[in-house]
Amino acid sequence: MSAAGRSIVIPHLGRVEGHGGIFVKIVGGRVHEVNMDIFEGSRYYEALLKGKHFLEVQGVITRVCAICSAGHTVAALSALEQALGVVSSQRVFKLRGLLTLGATIESHALHVFALALPDFLGFDSVLSMAAKYPQEVTFALKLKQLGNRIQELIGGRAVHPVNTLVGGFGKLPRHRDLEEIRRQLQGVREPLLGVVELAASLEVQDFAARPTVFVALRPHEEGYRFRGSTLCTSRGEEFPIAQYRDVVREYTVEHSHAKHAALASGETYMVGALARLALWGDRLQGAAREAFQRLFPHGVQDNVLTNTWAQLVELVHCVERGQEVCEELLGWPEEEREMQEYQVRAARGVGALEVPRGTLIHEYSFDDEGIIQSANVITPTAQNLANTERDLRTAVERLLASEVGSEATLKLKLEMVARAYDPCISCSVHVTCL
Amino acid sequence: MANGKPKVGIFGLTGCAGDQLQILNCEDQLIPLAQQMDIVDWVMVSSQNDRTCRLDVAFVEGVVATERDLETLKEIRARSRMLVALGTCAVWGGLPAMHNEVPREVLQREVYEGSAVHFLDTVEALPATHFVPFELTLPGCPIERHEFLRVAHALLAGAMPEFHMLPVCWECKARENLCRVVHFHEVCAGAMTRGGCGARCPSHAVACAGCRGPLEEPNYDANITMFADRGISWVEIARKMSQFSAPVWIKQGLEKEVRDERRR
Repeated sequence: MSAAGRSIVIPHLGRVEGHGGIFVKIVGGRVHEVNMDIFEGSRYYEALLKGKHFLEVQGVITRVCAICSAGHTVAALSALEQALGVVSSQRVFKLRGLLTLGATIESHALHVFALALPDFLGFDSVLSMAAKYPQEVTFALKLKQLGNRIQELIGGRAVHPVNTLVGGFGKLPRHRDLEEIRRQLQGVREPLLGVVELAASLEVQDFAARPTVFVALRPHEEGYRFRGSTLCTSRGEEFPIAQYRDVVREYTVEHSHAKHAALASGETYMVGALARLALWGDRLQGAAREAFQRLFPHGVQDNVLTNTWAQLVELVHCVERGQEVCEELLGWPEEEREMQEYQVRAARGVGALEVPRGTLIHEYSFDDEGIIQSANVITPTAQNLANTERDLRTAVERLLASEVGSEATLKLKLEMVARAYDPCISCSVHVTCL
Repeated sequence: MANGKPKVGIFGLTGCAGDQLQILNCEDQLIPLAQQMDIVDWVMVSSQNDRTCRLDVAFVEGVVATERDLETLKEIRARSRMLVALGTCAVWGGLPAMHNEVPREVLQREVYEGSAVHFLDTVEALPATHFVPFELTLPGCPIERHEFLRVAHALLAGAMPEFHMLPVCWECKARENLCRVVHFHEVCAGAMTRGGCGARCPSHAVACAGCRGPLEEPNYDANITMFADRGISWVEIARKMSQFSAPVWIKQGLEKEVRDERRR
């Protein structure tokens, strides 16, 4: 290695959502700079919302990102309803919960099988992996399809839901459709547990492991849940989500169209499936609990590469929990439509939920005619970017010290670190505070 | 076309990746379809891509929102025999083009808090079809899976797919939904919007927002008059009709009415 320094450049990261790259500069054998370059174009969604009516927010903000469209929908509706003082009915709450479970199944299935697993099994894509692992790939697509079916049934469309409204739903699902979903969820349980066994047989390396602060919402009830109203850190701190600006500090960096985030202490942190398992994994039940013990025999360790396995555990949870929620929903009489009445007033509201990639926060304020004055969206990927760079730095330092081999191997390992976060770059390029 | 399979590339400019996701959402038909093609460049799905080879078909989604997007688009055009625009962003501009009349500096100040943003690569958001010619356009936000499959199978057979150009309104009538305009006095873009979605939104008791983009020669005037006759305010008409970048003149054409209404 020359003293003049060298660079490792991954110009366009594959198998992630959106456009980003990795840039590493090494000078005199020391890692000088590690950047996640985010060059996805800015679409200024929050600014576009100003002047719109709050009833139009969901249809706009869901389009920040396709894979996370159900998550943005539920977060936006929670924030708007909180502002309006609408307490959604139990049925509406459960239906949105089922929508979130469907979205998580779809997203995790896509990431675990199509984006991450090719790395562990030595392929460059799920399409080439299909030749050697036809059963696994077919099952993965079936599981992903089931996640989409759930989103279609509750949200009216697999991408960018249309049926989800402030106050309720345009159309409620029929009982026979809920029964069908429950039956299908039951059907994927066994093959999914087979995949857990396959995963347990694969080695996860620890070249990027380093002490990590995990952040996730405290579940709204006893159990492993994706919605809540306080933000918890793995250090035992807890904050109401309305105070998120005091907890999450955002800043701009020159190499990224997405902002970065850190805690008030300046420390970077991780959100996502691994963070949720670290904080609330002991609440898992049934087969999800067994999968957790199987894949994390020593509990959650500070190693982001295990995030993919955390998603696999959550897949088992979603499949089991989805059946329970269907059961609960079948307890209500079948109805055409459910909408809560409300009075429009000038207000501000914050909503948050755990989406596949971590904690998502939406905030809106509108005037007494319901016209949006300000909007703010904090996405999981934006929160994870700074932490990703720290992990990449650790990985480069370790891999250089251990003489890892070819540059291609080094690059692949760095890509694996970035992919482990399951970054959603479309989402990340919108963060704002007005 | 080595080994008889067409070489295919799938690309996203700035956007939500929803149209690429809809391709992946073809789930049970995805693998058989992929086996009939040689997908050589698809960065969302593969970490090994041939970034320079000639392509028989390239699918492109998203808007041009950066200088880099424009370069990418021109490179794709230059290496592709057949270029297909996927989704309303690529075809019409979609939501990112909604506020093109507002200068980017103003938007930047709002989103990035007035902090130094000189490093941003940002230009007015325009559809890919604005910059280079496309052989085929497939709108939708996102595209409908069955339409994508129709395109893919037709192109594999060496034919051009044909789509009916009926409005969402026609499909809505066929489903016997109650009309959002007549019965509920809402602004519904169904009569101006290209069908193919099976009138998804009105079938969920939600007015059409126009996400599939306009038909050929829609009768904007008659629609606007129809909304106004039902007592809907000009402000609301202008706001709802500008959602999916209906021509800017709609908003501009209504400026006088909107102003007069505010004064009243």
